[in-house]
Amino acid sequence: MSGLRVIVGCKRVIDYAVKIRVKPDKTGVITDGVKHSMNPFDEIAVEEAVRMKEKKLASEVIAVSCGPIQCQETLRTAMAMGADKSIHVEVDAATYENLQPLHVAKILSKVAQEEKADIVFTGKQAIDDDCNQTGQMVAALLDWPQATFASKIEKANGELTVTREIDGGLETIKVQVPAVLTADLRLNEPRYATLPNIMKAKKKPMAKKKPADYGVDVGPRQSILKVEDPPVRQAGSKLDSVETLVTKLRDAGLVPS
Amino acid sequence: MVGGLCKTFLKCLIGQHTRLSRDHLTPELILHLITPACHLWHASLENSPLDDPFWAFYWPGGQALTRYILDNPGLFHGKTVLDLGSGCGSAAIAAALAGASKTVANDIHPVAEVAIEMNMEKNGVQVKPETYNYLMCQPTPSQNTPKFDIILMGDMFYDPDFTHLISKWLRSIHPDSMVLIGDPGRLPFRQHPLQSSLKCLHQYNLTKTSQLENNGLTQASIWLLHEPR
Repeated sequence: MSGLRVIVGCKRVIDYAVKIRVKPDKTGVITDGVKHSMNPFDEIAVEEAVRMKEKKLASEVIAVSCGPIQCQETLRTAMAMGADKSIHVEVDAATYENLQPLHVAKILSKVAQEEKADIVFTGKQAIDDDCNQTGQMVAALLDWPQATFASKIEKANGELTVTREIDGGLETIKVQVPAVLTADLRLNEPRYATLPNIMKAKKKPMAKKKPADYGVDVGPRQSILKVEDPPVRQAGSKLDSVETLVTKLRDAGLVPS
Repeated sequence: MVGGLCKTFLKCLIGQHTRLSRDHLTPELILHLITPACHLWHASLENSPLDDPFWAFYWPGGQALTRYILDNPGLFHGKTVLDLGSGCGSAAIAAALAGASKTVANDIHPVAEVAIEMNMEKNGVQVKPETYNYLMCQPTPSQNTPKFDIILMGDMFYDPDFTHLISKWLRSIHPDSMVLIGDPGRLPFRQHPLQSSLKCLHQYNLTKTSQLENNGLTQASIWLLHEPR
């Protein structure tokens, strides 16, 4: 099963270290002038795909990103990490506000067919919308098996043995390729892109496409009613003695009097 | 050609930002390279005082080609050699060490020309650095590439824009020239129409450092181009 062709979905999201601010009209979050980077779980997926290539399990790694022009930076990062080429499916900023996992899943599955991919790899979820839907939807659209929340991937006799992170433990499953994989946090630790790799990535091929090229209608299927900040926590108070604390707790009925 | 004062400045800059390294497939050669010990290794492109220092990395296709030359000196002895896209100049230097009668190290990057000169001096051989752009020129019969016995191309297929330029140029060279290509399996090379005219001569495993410099690549091969071109 050497020579697998791997498509990796790379979403551009607000950087994990940035403090998120909700727009005053509550229609979404402020993205202008905010640092963005590759969704960390997608970065783990890219890393794993490149490792599969280094182990001669994969022959080609193709990074795909759907969104505005800035997604090309995300794709350059994926190529600096070792992807061979990339496809930017451009969605203008206004449309992108309502781009949903179903749209991306439809695009990824079309790309997978066109590129004759054996594996579609994504992060388990994006850290901005926390949807955790794209990989599963791609599997449904292509009618491929799926191994989600992967924390270990091994090749065995024409199949992939995948360890999955499940509630309170691990599950090991076998899937045949073609398959959809989604990466969990503990799958690997992604490498940093160094100057020699960034330089060479500038020259790697990047195809520019539109959703219409794949016959995908990106009209919204849901509408966002409201985006809100988490409730602000009530401030605590500092007491000068244990006695005061006990009195306060008794008064509040939190300990028996 | 880089002028005198400018050259002195570039030499200082190269000396400052590179290390002399033997950590590659051809430890016989000592080369000025940006290694993991240099701060530029971790820098971003915007923070690099050197514009696209392609010559400061020992590309895997070039490493394999240089290794092949050092292992097969008889092929190059007494021959005229053109190293196209010479970068750090390693393949040209190896050909000169093998006893080539004339070696041209061609790289269109003016800083590469200076780096090649520095590397040539360090290894005690003479090669002729030049920056003429063979791929972009419009060859007329009188301007055809001068005849070389051997043409070397180490890792020239990293840029898909070069694809058709290389094909076109190869049609303009002397039919008796032997063309040797070193490539680590870059996509534009694997998909190049030349593939049907290539014969694999040797395959090398890359060093750990070279793998770090080339995420996703682990080997590089030497290919001989044969007719029809």
